[in-house]
Amino acid sequence: MKRFLAVPLLLAVACKPPTPAEQMDTIVSWIATARMAGDASLRRTTPDKYTRQTLELSDRMLLQSGSELLKSPPPAIDSADFAKVLIRTRFQIKEMARLVEQKAAPEFRQPWDSLGIYEKIVKQASDRIDSSR
Amino acid sequence: MKKILQLSLGIITSVGGFLEIGSVTTSAQAGAQFGYQLLWPLLFGTICLVFLVEMSGRLAAVSKHTVVGAMRERFGFPFFFVVSVGITIVVFMVLIAELGGIAFSLQMLTGIGFPWWALPVSLVVWLLMWKGTFSLIEYGASLLGLVTISFAVAAFRLHPDWAAVASGFLPSMPHSDKARYGFLTVSILGATISPYLMYFYSSGAIEEKWDRSYVVMNRIIAGFGMFFGGFLAMAVLIAAALAFQPMGIQVNTFPQAALLMTTALPKWGFYLFALSMLFACFGAALEISLAIAYFFAQGLGWNWSQNLEPSKNARFAFVYTVIIIVAAIPLMFGVDPIKVTMMSMALTSATLPFAIIPFLFLMNDPIYLGKYRNGWLSNAVVAIVVLLSFVLALISVPLEIVGG
Repeated sequence: MKRFLAVPLLLAVACKPPTPAEQMDTIVSWIATARMAGDASLRRTTPDKYTRQTLELSDRMLLQSGSELLKSPPPAIDSADFAKVLIRTRFQIKEMARLVEQKAAPEFRQPWDSLGIYEKIVKQASDRIDSSR
Repeated sequence: MKKILQLSLGIITSVGGFLEIGSVTTSAQAGAQFGYQLLWPLLFGTICLVFLVEMSGRLAAVSKHTVVGAMRERFGFPFFFVVSVGITIVVFMVLIAELGGIAFSLQMLTGIGFPWWALPVSLVVWLLMWKGTFSLIEYGASLLGLVTISFAVAAFRLHPDWAAVASGFLPSMPHSDKARYGFLTVSILGATISPYLMYFYSSGAIEEKWDRSYVVMNRIIAGFGMFFGGFLAMAVLIAAALAFQPMGIQVNTFPQAALLMTTALPKWGFYLFALSMLFACFGAALEISLAIAYFFAQGLGWNWSQNLEPSKNARFAFVYTVIIIVAAIPLMFGVDPIKVTMMSMALTSATLPFAIIPFLFLMNDPIYLGKYRNGWLSNAVVAIVVLLSFVLALISVPLEIVGG
């Protein structure tokens, strides 16, 4: 009998949407990707087109995962504050993509540094979600 | 002297031809998410592959049969038909993934979107198949694939904690994400133990006219070549664990994977990754196209040889022409090669018993192998790893499909 119950139970577990912690991991992952791509670009070790495409992809994925998370925000974060952080994060990434396209290398470091600050804030929020589980 | 040259070339091509999009993607994802914890399926898979490849070469050298030809003869057409449907679907998915890997590498190098590369890449693969000989395909592509040694250089330059690396070779369960861990385990096993390698290797042995005097050489090539190939996949996992895991990067897309070596090899890392993927996937796409054509031709009793003019084995050439063109279609519509890769690797694990267990029966048949048939060790190792991957696949593939 237990075996018959196990299959629907497994499927029910699998059918559930990603948890807030998993959504937060995705957000952290895309911000870190943008930072790493930016770091490689600062060292002039990747082609500009790759950097721009990766930054644009990070921005799209952040929009998508951020919207999902904010539909039912976990109690461990202040949703209004977090939404603002996400908007600012995305702004820095868009700014980096714009500067790459304009080949304005000297100005690139400023949004990249700012992105680092937001990355820390988001990681702290992610840790709060993890510890509240 | 000729045999020493063949031996060296065999080992080098096994190393150069080991990595492909499946092994790189699964290893990178595993390292990024679970650190060194998933080194054990890579080790198990590599050991199993060493045995399987050695067996396929031994079968060809001793019985003068390819794996497919012998299975068709031993188990009959109905059995061959049922197995071929499953295996063809899975191997075809792997071909889509490999063509996608080439197209994505070109996107990284040029900035032109991968769907635009799908058709030109397929045409180049087809043209080489049409014009090239077996040696050109096997040795040429695999020698270019030696650029994948850069993954090992990157892993060493990141100075891993070797005690922690060693602990990854012992199976353990993570505290969270157990379903994902299971899915990655079967994907790694599927990426490592690819049945197409057996079909390709045994057909190659017949193409190169191996006989019983090649049994020892076959053992050395399979042992060293596959072991060092597996070592490169482990290097990818270690590099990903060190470059991505501390930053929290999950490797869900190709552009993320492309950053794998930018920390360890700042100046050339990006280009080495792109070229590694380009050549590794190119070699694998050629081998898979050839393996599918061999599979059909040997199973259905057609003329087959990559060394013959296409006009002399038209049906063989027709099979690879059709599959290469059809495989390009989903890529032209933007299907994500990484998603195809992950699913095809897990499905490979699920289909392994259907391809491998009958093969084990064959390898114990004195009619085909006489005194060269399998010992208990090779039977046990292969059976255990294949059944383990099958059970894990039965649990984790539905979870991954339903859970998205």
